[in-house]
Amino acid sequence: MPKCLVCYKWTLDEKDIKIKPEDLSLDTSRAKGKISDFDRNAIEEATLIVEQQGGSVHALTYGTSAVQQSLKDVLSRGPDTVYWIADGSAESADACVTANVLASAIRKLGSYDLILCGEGSSDLFNQQTAARLSALLGLPCVTYLEKLSVEGDTVKATRKLADCTEVATVKGPVVLSVLGTINKPRIPSLKQVLGAAKKPKKEIKIADLGLTPEQLQPKAIHKSVKGFVAKRKNIVYKEANAAANVGKLTSSLAAEGLL
Amino acid sequence: MNFQLTEEQQLIEQSAHDFAKEYLDPIVLHLDETGEFPKGIVKELANHDFLGLHLPADVGGAGAGFVSYVAVIESLSRSCAAVASIMNNQAMVSYAIQHWGNEAQKKQYVQALVTGETIGGFTIYELGPIPGIGPDALVATKKDGGYVLKGTKAYVRNAGEAGVYVVFGITDPADPNALTAFLVDAKATGLTVGPKQNTMGLRGCPVAHVGLDNVSVPETAVLGVVKAGREIAAKVLALASVAEAAQTVGIGQAAVEHAAAYAKQRVQFGKPVATLQAVQTLLAEAATDCYLARLGLRSAAQLVEDAQPFESEAAMVKSFLARLGSKILVDSCQVEGGMGYSEAMPLPRLFRDIAGTTLLDAPADFPDYTIAASIA
Repeated sequence: MPKCLVCYKWTLDEKDIKIKPEDLSLDTSRAKGKISDFDRNAIEEATLIVEQQGGSVHALTYGTSAVQQSLKDVLSRGPDTVYWIADGSAESADACVTANVLASAIRKLGSYDLILCGEGSSDLFNQQTAARLSALLGLPCVTYLEKLSVEGDTVKATRKLADCTEVATVKGPVVLSVLGTINKPRIPSLKQVLGAAKKPKKEIKIADLGLTPEQLQPKAIHKSVKGFVAKRKNIVYKEANAAANVGKLTSSLAAEGLL
Repeated sequence: MNFQLTEEQQLIEQSAHDFAKEYLDPIVLHLDETGEFPKGIVKELANHDFLGLHLPADVGGAGAGFVSYVAVIESLSRSCAAVASIMNNQAMVSYAIQHWGNEAQKKQYVQALVTGETIGGFTIYELGPIPGIGPDALVATKKDGGYVLKGTKAYVRNAGEAGVYVVFGITDPADPNALTAFLVDAKATGLTVGPKQNTMGLRGCPVAHVGLDNVSVPETAVLGVVKAGREIAAKVLALASVAEAAQTVGIGQAAVEHAAAYAKQRVQFGKPVATLQAVQTLLAEAATDCYLARLGLRSAAQLVEDAQPFESEAAMVKSFLARLGSKILVDSCQVEGGMGYSEAMPLPRLFRDIAGTTLLDAPADFPDYTIAASIA
């Protein structure tokens, strides 16, 4: 019976983010949080496996103090326990720092048969957490999963690649990252939501992870993030006949490199 | 004082929102066009514990409280108010039985209502001006240790789909104010459901008259005690007022959001119409109405949850939305201009649904009496 750990990220809900027209900066003041989309698939996949085979699902997250808002949400989706690390370092953490923190926490928590992540987060979509975790933990890694089956300690994973699918078989423990197509995350029932309050939520202090200042120093620095707004050129062709208008239009599109 | 939903309430609201997107958005047009009763959706509502949301855990409910209930109704109504109306009427029946029923009645019906195995219909209105008055008034005559029910109940929601009806009738012709509530099986001999009415809105939630032609029920069919019907009806209808207010706000919010999205992409005079002051005024007023109505209905729902008197506040919310519900839709339609008037857009359906909620479920002329009586 597999013991699963799902790493998830609490991100801002992109539908609540507005772009300020004056400088295209992002207004996140009214944005609510959510469990990153593909991470929900990872939670669902681990929960489905355990529902079918027995075992246990645990969840682990690292973020700012806002991650506390995610705890009941994640527990309502299936995991038995959630471990959370809230620290200001998460504000500027890059994929390297995130993986250092999560890997240290996993070493502290013990061994797992399956460690699942979403393929990429809803906000930055770096697609690095699973790969970095596997390197730090010395475990095999299978990414881009759209199908997963587990028999004993053997994991059979179907990977969706650019122009083909690939079936990989690997002995656990293993780190896996899943795509959004692997399943349909459940909508928690009201009893699952209310039952989440009774499940254990355990804090891990970052100071207890034995990380050096260098391991918490991000290598990548975000200087700014700006929104993209499509601008209309408002070009109107007013030739007498349609053919001439079409000709001008196609020439214009070709000049823009669109044809 | 904290006006925010608790963490659990927010998660429940989110579940309802996600449920609406997954299950209701794909069928809302079909329901509106055909008026078909969404049996499968009712089952899914039960699977997600929505049908037992307001009931205690020992009868299979989720015990989530009335604030959560109205948050769910609002979320469902944003996608499909007909389904919210089905759920509201189901809740009126399960609440009445849970609150006033004896153990045998609870055992027979409540669990089945929570699982969606049985649909409930709450029959209060008659063709006369008030229940108990007029030639079609439902009269319950005592006979052979039970009652014989004769009369017609009008505009019954969930009619034809319901397996059990809460039927209000007069047991004492000398005292038409003294209503008694009965639980009547839909298969009872003499009970007939009239043709489904082709309603303006909330299509999918069936409405019909229910005739009772000498329907015999045992004495054990009485809900609560004889002549307690007026009290039961008043309490349940007051609760329903808050739920219907949530339905109205949900429909209104959907209209405002659609109008705002339209205004951002509709370009006139070289810029989105959302930047024009006249359009901004329409959107701002509609959004303000929704916001204030939501505060009022959640405040009333909190009173219910705290077991405080809430009837006057429920009536205020009902009266407020009876006046402003349609205005929210008019303002939203106005933002979208000619396109908003087109059936290709959702606003006409929302317009009809809000009319169905404020006109049929919550008559605009009734709550003023309750409010006035509470202050003068």
